[in-house]
Amino acid sequence: MDKVLVFVEIKGDGPRKVSLELLCEAARFAQNGRFSVEAVCIGRLPDAARDKLLSYTEKLVHFTDPELAVYSPEGYARALAGYAREGGAKMVIAGATGIGRDFLPRVAVLLETGIASDVTGANWLNEPMTFVRPMFGGKVFAEVVFSTSPVILTVRPNSFAMGEAQEKGGEYIEKTAGISPDTIHTKVVRVEEASRDTVDLTEADLIVAGGRGLKAAENFNLIEELAGAIGATVGATRSVVDAKWREQADQIGKSGKTVSPKLYIGAGISGAIHHIMGMDTSKVVLAINRDPNAIIFNYANYGIVGDLFEVLPAMTQELKKRKEG
Amino acid sequence: MDILVLIKQVPDPEALVEIGSEGKDLNIEPKFAINLFDEYAIEEALKIREAHGGKVKAITLGSAKAIEALRTAIAMGADEAMLIEDEGFAAGDGYNTALVLSRALEKEMFDIVLCGRQAIDADRGEVPQMIAQFLGLPHVGVVVKLDIADGKTVAESAFEGAKEVIEVALPAVFTAQKGLNEPRVPLITGVMKAMKVQIPKLTVEDLGLTRDMAGPGGSKTKILQYLPPKKRPAVQFIEGEPAHAAAEAVRILTEVERVI
Ligand SMILES: Cc1cc2nc3c(=O)[nH]c(=O)nc-3n(C[C@H](O)[C@H](O)[C@H](O)COP(=O)(O)OP(=O)(O)OC[C@H]3O[C@@H](n4cnc5c(N)ncnc54)[C@H](O)[C@@H]3O)c2cc1C
Ligand SMILES: Nc1ncnc2c1ncn2[C@@H]1O[C@H](COP(=O)(O)O)[C@@H](O)[C@H]1O
Repeated sequence: MDKVLVFVEIKGDGPRKVSLELLCEAARFAQNGRFSVEAVCIGRLPDAARDKLLSYTEKLVHFTDPELAVYSPEGYARALAGYAREGGAKMVIAGATGIGRDFLPRVAVLLETGIASDVTGANWLNEPMTFVRPMFGGKVFAEVVFSTSPVILTVRPNSFAMGEAQEKGGEYIEKTAGISPDTIHTKVVRVEEASRDTVDLTEADLIVAGGRGLKAAENFNLIEELAGAIGATVGATRSVVDAKWREQADQIGKSGKTVSPKLYIGAGISGAIHHIMGMDTSKVVLAINRDPNAIIFNYANYGIVGDLFEVLPAMTQELKKRKEG
Repeated sequence: MDILVLIKQVPDPEALVEIGSEGKDLNIEPKFAINLFDEYAIEEALKIREAHGGKVKAITLGSAKAIEALRTAIAMGADEAMLIEDEGFAAGDGYNTALVLSRALEKEMFDIVLCGRQAIDADRGEVPQMIAQFLGLPHVGVVVKLDIADGKTVAESAFEGAKEVIEVALPAVFTAQKGLNEPRVPLITGVMKAMKVQIPKLTVEDLGLTRDMAGPGGSKTKILQYLPPKKRPAVQFIEGEPAHAAAEAVRILTEVERVI
């Protein structure tokens, strides 16, 4: 059987959503008996996260070297590549998160193989396997094959469906990678966590984004209230970030984040290609703009031509009404 | 401080990109620019030189035309430039690009390598980390602040929501993210200088590599075909007074699309 390693990432007390999506997808394509799947966690692993992971995988391997307690690209790459080599893994998959995209390329070099970054689709059962990934900000997609083994992938969050947790728990194995401190040349001095409790844009299922049509920073409360009513994360255009109405971390687009939610609601956004590039893989798009010719309507499933100052509060109110009723 | 900046010439962000010959090629409007994120890298290199002295050298792997990107770097203020001219390797995968560039770096003296976070053509975001691994160097990715003082180098990395402050031993590789600085516009004197300067060219053979290592035969990954993005069906406008349209939108999202 071909061994598949899924790197799982921990955030706070639990595994990241994309890690669970990948374990579920791997379990699905492993059903034909050709693959065996292992989850690999490096560093900090709270009990709650471990228990949750064990209900999504048959085997969880945890690297516990003290040198790996905090993330470093050098340490993580060595640990993951070392384990892949030792077990003859045919595939190493991670979420295309900040960390995944940061260190998986190093894993590829250590294993003298290629990588496909930010994959959004896969034909796992093709011979050879093929992967789809966006280029030019999503203007085109490339279908990629590997001529070397193992296959290394980072996969964009929300590309594969989440499955059900299993009743019976998997096997848990602790290991050390034998990383010596002098192989790591970076030291994390301080981490400033984002001051919010909502899901990061890149992993969010629901996003409400605002543009310059909001006119002022304080009017973003209309966006926040609608987002709050459905548990969505707030996004923004670059114009809004440049005007300092929102933080850089909220920017969606070519020079900001790429998002792939189930629902994207955009209000007061013109739909410049640089913004579209960051959100065009969203599943359902609702655009609110008072200009019937706004470009964003070309990239939307649903459109409301109207004043956002009227439409947004009305939507929030309707949602509240439905919740109560 | 000797600083190397790796820059890539890419199609202009506005250039039209179309799929040609049944998915085998891309037809790209011939307008070019320095990769957006590489401009931040050049600017940071110049700032470090201004504060600490030293030399800034820009390096590109690309076609003969890519020399334009190097001239822009010189016009901005880089001291030297070098073109590794090989279209095959330049069109290859991230591994091959990183292999060539790391071979070139082995021949250079440097304290710092500055790159962009991602090249906006292939959107890979792989090459700098791979170069660091080839050379056994540390890297810090998506950097929004870089401080060098008292023999210490401290970088701020903006991963998604969180910011990490990281101390790193030099030599090291950094990838520049928007927010790091505001790239300067070249002065006319710089442009004049850049037009006249001789830019040395290297071939991959000079780096101990052979041309057949590039292209479909030599790449670790290869593109089978290009596909168009999934087309969204034409927009459905929700009509009526704002309050009515809003209520109807909520109904559609909950009952028809079932996304909330
Ligand atoms: C190299 C480069 C990179 C870039 N990267 C990004 C990026 O990553 N992300 C990004 O977003 N942009 C990016 N941009 C900028 C982009 O080109 C646009 O300028 C920007 O997205 C426009 O933002 P906006 O839609 O908020 O503003 P505008 O274009 O000003 O649009 C405002 C919209 O609001 C509508 N409006 C106004 N009032 C109301 C109202 N009362 N009710 C309803 N609608 C109303 C208007 O009709 C208009 O359509 C980049 C640009 C460049 C050159
Ligand atoms: N052909 C190239 N020549 C010089 N630098 C490159 C080249 N390709 C990539 N780079 C550098 O690596 C960064 C990331 O590129 P990529 O991994 O291709 O997205 C770019 O921003 C450049 O700094």
